Amino acid sequence: MSNASVTDAEQDDGSGLLLLIWTIFRMNFLLMARYKVNFAAQIVGMYLFFAVIFFGGRAAVQNVGGGMGALGGTLDALIVGWFLWTMAQSAYSSLSTEITQESRWGTLEQLFMSPHGFGTVLGVKVFVNMLLSMVIGSLMLALMLLTTGRTLALDFVSVFPIVVLTLLSVVGLGYVFAGLALVYKQISNVSQLMQFVLIGLIAAPVAELPILSVLPLVQGSEMLQATMREGVRLWEFSPLQLGTLVGTAVVYSVVGYLIFMLCLHVARDRGVMGHY
Amino acid sequence: MSLESSMERDGTSDRSRSSSNETEQTTDPVVSVQGLRKEYGKGDDAVEAVTGVDLSIQPGSVVGLLGPNGAGKTTTIKSILGLIYPSEGDIEVSDVNVHKNTTTAHEHMGATLEGARNTYWRLTVRENLEIFSVIGGNDYRKRTEEIESLIEQFGLAEKADTVVRELSRGQKQKVSLACALARDTDVVFLDEPTLGLDVESTRRLQREIRRLAEDDGRTIILSSHDMDVIRTVCDRAIIMNDGEIVADDTVESLIDLFDAKTYDVVVDGDLDEAAEQRLASEFFLKNVDRRSGKTALEVETDGDEFYRLVDTLEESGLSVESFSEVEMDFDDVFLHLTDQAEEDERRAQEVTAHE
Repeated sequence: MSNASVTDAEQDDGSGLLLLIWTIFRMNFLLMARYKVNFAAQIVGMYLFFAVIFFGGRAAVQNVGGGMGALGGTLDALIVGWFLWTMAQSAYSSLSTEITQESRWGTLEQLFMSPHGFGTVLGVKVFVNMLLSMVIGSLMLALMLLTTGRTLALDFVSVFPIVVLTLLSVVGLGYVFAGLALVYKQISNVSQLMQFVLIGLIAAPVAELPILSVLPLVQGSEMLQATMREGVRLWEFSPLQLGTLVGTAVVYSVVGYLIFMLCLHVARDRGVMGHY
Repeated sequence: MSLESSMERDGTSDRSRSSSNETEQTTDPVVSVQGLRKEYGKGDDAVEAVTGVDLSIQPGSVVGLLGPNGAGKTTTIKSILGLIYPSEGDIEVSDVNVHKNTTTAHEHMGATLEGARNTYWRLTVRENLEIFSVIGGNDYRKRTEEIESLIEQFGLAEKADTVVRELSRGQKQKVSLACALARDTDVVFLDEPTLGLDVESTRRLQREIRRLAEDDGRTIILSSHDMDVIRTVCDRAIIMNDGEIVADDTVESLIDLFDAKTYDVVVDGDLDEAAEQRLASEFFLKNVDRRSGKTALEVETDGDEFYRLVDTLEESGLSVESFSEVEMDFDDVFLHLTDQAEEDERRAQEVTAHE
């Protein structure tokens, strides 16, 4: 019984964390497999959204000038932008959606009471969600490339770190909204607006307004476009670009996490943890 | 507090508390709450949910926490679990300060909370147990026997691979209880554990709770409106009302405390207004029922005072035809304590208003 549990914790050499990661990954996978129609509908929905824009608005997209920013620049830009948006959308919304759902299910308190620590459990959820969003993004990318017949540079060594660091800045936003969901519960309408904000950030005209690169997603979006469309390698970017990418990733994720912890404090003080 | 003063009056205080005090001296408490106060909101809108709770719970005991809605039970439980920050007070579980070392304290406690699912409805029973075992800091792969045993104990073997959403309400309740136990902690909080369970399941759960305390040495703290559950499984009951503890003792002592204090007295003749007023001024007259030339009185008094009651009635020209002691069950004790606390509160407010 309890003595054994304490022993488990005392002997935790990191294997407990790995098991937690595996368990949450397994749980997500089980839900995806058990509700495969739901999961397939999510992928098909995102793909159809892209297909409508691609087939219906091909001429328009091709004729819009480069000055409109990365998203409208070229078909390749659209694909890369869509690839990033799919992952960003998933990475951002998964945390706030999960907090809302867990709150509604009455499992949030159980996660909070984990001896791993609430921050660790949420961090693991973010990590797993990011992995899954990258899988979904890659699947979407493959479908988009097959549909359009285009080819892009898929240098894993460059693309993967850029994607991870770019998504970390979005995860920071996710933490902020997850914290707000913890305190205010009904924030889904505000949260939905964020998907358009994400499109705006991905398509931000950073060439004309370099200061925009300090916003989440912006620097990463620009670098991902350069890597996938022009084959620029990670180490070929300037120190300023790399620094901005890492800096925005660290600052937004840390600030977002701190805001989440502040909201958690407020929720505990008001006694609204888990109330829905 | 009202109960304390009433116990001092009738001299039962030492007797009724001696058993728990003796136990407290033998071992350190596994749960210790000192000066817990919780206020929601600020300024004029502030509401005080808990006004100063002190309690300590010994390891391996089953303690019932009860009180009417709004008594402060949930705030107290959630404060102990670390889900609510207290405005004041110290809370320790297994010698760990809950609000200073929350994560460490969570190694020692698990809970099912009332009104919440507590489980993942889209996962199977077994998957839920495995997941909550891991969330509780355990390696479920090393605990397959315990998990299977929990499934068996709660009669869920046939449903082990069924998703929870497809189970009945009672079965879902069993899964959430099993998940709390799968965390394998020293202290388990069960909020309304028998809600939605049928009679047989309730009995099985009662037996399981006793077994967990007696064989495994776990401490179980449960809140329930079901007095039968409290009476059957709890070593001790803590009764709350208006944010404070109004009674804290063994179930038997609480019942003894009021046992034989209330008498049903039937007198021959109608009790007139003057006699009733005289009785009411000298005794706690709970009820007067006049019918067909007789008057039935329900009077709260102790043994010595009872003879004075008889004398007073005879002085009023009424002879006692029959009398009997009213045996109180735990529901009566609970209602008595919470009513008495409310009455004391009302009187205190009146005094304050006069001052």
